[in-house]
Amino acid sequence: MVNKRLIISSLLSLVFLLTAFVSSAQVSVESGKQLFKANCAQCHNRNMKDNLTGPALGGISERWSGREELLYSWIRNTQSVIASGDPYAVDLYNTWNKVLMNPFPNLTDDEIGSILAYIDAVHNGTEGGNAAAAAGAVAVVEQPKTNYTLIYSVLAILLALIALILARIVGNLDHMNKVAAGDSEAPRPSIREILTSKSVIAFVIFALIVLGGYTTVNNAISFGRQQNYQPEQPIKFSHATHAGVNKIDCQYCHDGARRSKQSVIPSANTCMNCHKAIKKGSTYGTAELTKIFASVGYDPTTDTYIENYDQMATEDIEAIYKKWIADNYIADKELASLDAKGEKAVKDQWNNLVNSLTSEHDPKIGGPIEWNRIHNLPDHVYFNHSQHVTVGKLDCQQCHGKVQEMEVVKQYATLSMGWCINCHRQTEVKFMDNDYYKSYEKYHQELASGKREKVTVEDIGGTECQKCHY
Amino acid sequence: MKQPSKEMWVSAQDLRNDPELLAAANREFPETSIVEDLGKEGTMDRLESSRRDFLKFLGFSLGAATVAASCEIPVKKAIPYVIKPDSIVPGVASYYASAYVDGGDFLPVLVKTREGRPIKIEGNAISPMTGGGTSARAQASVLSLYDTNRLQSAGKVENGQVAAMSWDDLDKEVKASLTKGGAIRLLSRTVISPSAQAAIAAFSAKYPNTSWIQYDPISCSALLDAQEMSYGVRALPSYHFDAAEVIVSFDADFLGTWISPVEYARAYSTGRKVKNTKSVRMSRHYQVESFMSMTGSNADHRIMVKPSEQGAAIAALYNAVASANGAATINAPALNDKAKKAMTRVAADLMKAAGKGLVVCGVNNLAEQVLVAKINALLGNDGTTVTQNDNSFQRQGSDKNLTGLINEMNSGAVGTLIVLDGNPAFDHAQSEAFRKAMAKVGTRIACAGTLEETGALSTHVAPTTHLLESWGDAYPKKGQFYLIQPTIAPLFPVRQWELSLLVWAESAELDNTSDQPYYEFVKKNWERSVYPSQSGGKSFNSFWESSLHDGMLLVSSAPSAGSNSADVSSVASGLTRPSDGEEIQFFESINMGAGQFAGNPWLQELSDPITRCVWGNYLFVPIGWDGGNDYTFFKGLEDGDRVNLEINGISRTVTIVHQFGLMPGTYAIALGYGRQTVGKAGRDIGTNVQDFLTVNKNGYASSYAVAPVVSGKVGRDKEFACVQHHHTMGVTGADPKTGKTINVDEKTVATIGEGYQGSLVDRSIIFRGNLAELDQLEEKIHEKREEFQNLNDKTLYPSYDDVYAMGHHWGMHIDLNACIGCSACTVACMAENNVPVVGKKEVFRHHEMSWLRIDRYFYGELENPNVVYQPMMCQHCDNAPCENVCPVSATNHSSEGLNQMAYNRCIGTRYCANNCPYKVRRFNWLDYTTADLFPANEPRLNGEEMPFGADNLTRMVLNPDVTVRSRGVMEKCSFCVQRIQEGKLTAKREGRILRDGDVKSACMTACPTDAITFGDLNNKESQLNKDLESPLVYQVLEEVNTRPSVNYRARVLNRDESLES
Repeated sequence: MVNKRLIISSLLSLVFLLTAFVSSAQVSVESGKQLFKANCAQCHNRNMKDNLTGPALGGISERWSGREELLYSWIRNTQSVIASGDPYAVDLYNTWNKVLMNPFPNLTDDEIGSILAYIDAVHNGTEGGNAAAAAGAVAVVEQPKTNYTLIYSVLAILLALIALILARIVGNLDHMNKVAAGDSEAPRPSIREILTSKSVIAFVIFALIVLGGYTTVNNAISFGRQQNYQPEQPIKFSHATHAGVNKIDCQYCHDGARRSKQSVIPSANTCMNCHKAIKKGSTYGTAELTKIFASVGYDPTTDTYIENYDQMATEDIEAIYKKWIADNYIADKELASLDAKGEKAVKDQWNNLVNSLTSEHDPKIGGPIEWNRIHNLPDHVYFNHSQHVTVGKLDCQQCHGKVQEMEVVKQYATLSMGWCINCHRQTEVKFMDNDYYKSYEKYHQELASGKREKVTVEDIGGTECQKCHY
Repeated sequence: MKQPSKEMWVSAQDLRNDPELLAAANREFPETSIVEDLGKEGTMDRLESSRRDFLKFLGFSLGAATVAASCEIPVKKAIPYVIKPDSIVPGVASYYASAYVDGGDFLPVLVKTREGRPIKIEGNAISPMTGGGTSARAQASVLSLYDTNRLQSAGKVENGQVAAMSWDDLDKEVKASLTKGGAIRLLSRTVISPSAQAAIAAFSAKYPNTSWIQYDPISCSALLDAQEMSYGVRALPSYHFDAAEVIVSFDADFLGTWISPVEYARAYSTGRKVKNTKSVRMSRHYQVESFMSMTGSNADHRIMVKPSEQGAAIAALYNAVASANGAATINAPALNDKAKKAMTRVAADLMKAAGKGLVVCGVNNLAEQVLVAKINALLGNDGTTVTQNDNSFQRQGSDKNLTGLINEMNSGAVGTLIVLDGNPAFDHAQSEAFRKAMAKVGTRIACAGTLEETGALSTHVAPTTHLLESWGDAYPKKGQFYLIQPTIAPLFPVRQWELSLLVWAESAELDNTSDQPYYEFVKKNWERSVYPSQSGGKSFNSFWESSLHDGMLLVSSAPSAGSNSADVSSVASGLTRPSDGEEIQFFESINMGAGQFAGNPWLQELSDPITRCVWGNYLFVPIGWDGGNDYTFFKGLEDGDRVNLEINGISRTVTIVHQFGLMPGTYAIALGYGRQTVGKAGRDIGTNVQDFLTVNKNGYASSYAVAPVVSGKVGRDKEFACVQHHHTMGVTGADPKTGKTINVDEKTVATIGEGYQGSLVDRSIIFRGNLAELDQLEEKIHEKREEFQNLNDKTLYPSYDDVYAMGHHWGMHIDLNACIGCSACTVACMAENNVPVVGKKEVFRHHEMSWLRIDRYFYGELENPNVVYQPMMCQHCDNAPCENVCPVSATNHSSEGLNQMAYNRCIGTRYCANNCPYKVRRFNWLDYTTADLFPANEPRLNGEEMPFGADNLTRMVLNPDVTVRSRGVMEKCSFCVQRIQEGKLTAKREGRILRDGDVKSACMTACPTDAITFGDLNNKESQLNKDLESPLVYQVLEEVNTRPSVNYRARVLNRDESLES
């Protein structure tokens, strides 16, 4: 039965793969990606889920289904469609503050098809790292992984069944033997008797001890490790938006990484470099960004820093930021004054802000934002970012994962000693481009003579205790 | 002259082969273990457990572990700045040029800060005064910033208790008192800050009935008055120890405590190092004193006189010099024969080196100081080794003015007394009179960082900032202006006294709108008085910025010879007449000063260089010799016995310690101990001997007393903390079986027979010689080292040439001739490496944690031996004995030659410490850093509620780059691996080769005499490799084939062997 499923899924994958391959002649996700990047990404969020300058595009095919022709002309020239009076188009135009989308008259049907295919692929989560990969390809890659365990457990069950059957056959043969020998009273072992026999119990106990020991040791080793730790942060800061969509360099904010032990969580004034201008978030509007203003004491309504902010009463602070939130709500909804829903929204946002910026020991709204620390090295480990970023020229992602795709950051690596050591064993030192390594003459000679292929971190003492523990 | 039975010894017990010492030295740690302590209190009964208990514990731990494992990992916060200052990068240290000032003591420093908190003091190398040297006190000053006993608000004092009040209220009350009438008196120690002087002037202008009195706890009054009499200026001359070929010091501890010890030590050591064995120029140093001071221990010859004989000795020298120069001689008091004979030799030596001699005197007697100045003048030393016009202002106090003030206070004329700086109710010879006189003053205001004796007797306290929180400047020497800048905002709402004065004076120059009004004041003052003297043609702002960056401004001030116009005969009658009976000398110790450092545990736990005692002051009693090689203990007393000391009817119980080189019939004890109103770390530590001090008939504070009565044993100090016999590696004794001399800590090995490694009797710990026989010393070292190499060649260890052929190979060189024992390195090491303070009881149990100790060895004559100091830390042996015995490989070797210690791997077997021939490994017996969960494991300092360093304030001093060790792990010198890594990383980031000097260990940077050189042996150009070329270089215990990375250079004296003392 299982085999059947395996065969079916493999066949399905093949079909997907084939369709993807065939359709790529005219419409391909890959070319869609390129086109999207070139034409759309400035205004539309690449995760297809969140609004940016333009609306989130995920699910666009469903929204326009049956009216594809109109969608194509909408993409080529919005104004003409609005002028035609299509109610959906007019509504969309009004919700987005009557901002027109740039016209793209030169896009061919295939190109628009590609873009839509890409949007769908991203929205469905089938757009993989491999550019050519469509849904089928992903399925093929992932399936063996899950099936191994499945196969093993099936095998185990099968073997257990066979063992049981064999035990029964042996029991029966034994019984028959005894009957043939004249002992007609000889009992036939029941399944229950077989399962409760000494050897089976002994085996089960042995298996449990081995499994238990294995699990205990494994868990003990990983005790205190926090891989995949993904705490909620006081501000819903999205690395996907900043590093992914807007391609802000990691080290613009984490400016310690190149020169210090710590990568440094940016101070709020770093945020203000951009957010003096961008005062509303693409996803949460005023809800999250106001927290930064309240932290540094910036009044977004008047675009000024508030004087003597640290001595200000909470009520006055509340008035300033509630006004900002309310004003924006009114402007967004095009209302004359705040409605009941709006009042609730303002209250909710304010309460959320207070919760995020204050704590038991720090009841003040102003002052630093207390982020939850994700990467915690033990105190007896010395780690220096600049060694790895500036000297080793590693990408941040190598240890931190694809942060540019994380809405909420999580710990990607185990940060275990084994993980560090493995990397130190494998990683090649940028030996030739840094004059510091000139003192390792022997290695230079060996490299020159071809006796040595590369110099790893371990070769220059990178796995010795006091490189990290002192 | 009695010759000792041993070439070198560490103590009297060692010399006598004391069986107890032998037994103790054979054990790593004494028997007073923690378990035994528990047993004494009956707690062991409770700790006994049956098998059932064991199972219960097992079950509990299993359950606890399970619960712990299922616990959520605690949420940690990461809190960034709101607005990050440009100059701060978290994780990177910033250094600020500033100055360390304590009364007249002065040092230019760099302050290392991390994330805005100062954690370490370094010397400022561009200063011509100190060249980057530091002292133990300056190194420890950063800890005082985080003192939990600091006053945290202004206050009113009632019955010695401070009731907090607001600054506004205090200012109101003070101003009311100032305008009420009655004389206003300002009292301070020496103030070398021009801006502070300007603030005092502004205050005096507002309140004309003000006068300002300066005093020095350890007075230099007579020297200043003698200067005035001789050269017309009441300021100290500049002494040039580097230019001197013969140095004679009468009781001046110029390397340890006298006026400007770091400056002098630096100059002194340049004349004492044997740079080139082929052409040596080395000064000869005579020290005339009663007890062995740190300076005396470095001298070639010590001439022992009683404290009261100093005048006679000076007069004898003067007469010898004067008669040779045709000047009038004076009527000299009688001097003991030995000293008399020696003084003629000294005079001859001085006259031979005319113009290149230097005579200094630390005795507070006008006649004697005038004579010394005259001796220098007659010898032509004026203008070469003693110069005027580049005067030092580091002492300005006047004993007579202080006496005058006390009289004035007693008369009731003083309405308001403001003590700006210092602790006059405790720290000087007239403190008792001062305390009594204070009661007669209406308003008494004490400006101090902590509550001291003076504050407790005041009506108000106006707490001041710590130096590292203050703005300021200093003018220690003519032509040298220094700036002090804060490196942290004041931790508490306190105000520096200069600012308080300006506030009380309602000065027009005070910019009240400014965040830092005193900063504006200093800046304005510099614009007015310092800026005009600069010659660079800079605008004021760029001048200010560059001065602040460098921490100093140097203006040329040409030294001159001056002309000595003193009439010697008119003062000669003031010479001290020697007394007949016993005498006692009171001295300033290198760590405690006049008591101002009592609250600093780093300095309390720093061992005295000579006696090697910690946590207290001890009465030095002389060792009497019975003519043979044995000695008699004074009244049968043992070190650590308590006796009664009575002088003039005042009696104190003190702990004694026997001391070599102490003049028979004299005693000595350090000042500054036994304070009562001080943080718990210093309360009742040692004995208060301040009240024994007197003022002599000429009005000068005297530093000795006559006719002390010392009783027999009245008790025993149960925690006598002397590190002398801890971690011994050089103690030898007679083998009980054979009677042969062996090393006691290797007795068991020795039974195998002589010749085996480890049982060599003649161990190479110290090589020393005399300048005249330098070639013999060279030959001896060469011979010995060759012999060792021959032995070591038969090694089974692998060769390391291949391992060290590339990259770095760290090594060190220590010049024993430059090391003066000042202990700056020891404190620097504690600060740099988060070395815990353990307290007196723990030191008594051999549990001190210092990674760097300075071993002191005696040699030469028994009654008056010479001393060699040997800084001893982990030797980072290539064949490290500790590494072989570690069962978990927690200590192992790096490819850069470091003996690495991985704390988290250590399981505390202590095999490594047992196997270390240098005894440099330290075990965390208790939870000194309060890192674990069980408070019972924590030691308490002097009854404090919390172990030292457990509170968040004190922890701010910790170096974040170094792990804080917990209980049960071994630790030791790491060669400052964090500095090595930092230096390497900087080079890598800059893409360049690591240069010599990029990496300096903390001890190396702290050293005032450049005795320590750290560097890369693989860098052929390094200073280290240059230093190692000397034929006087050897390795300690080279014969045991440990192949240490630390090299020592032999001790050379410049003795005149014909001079018998």
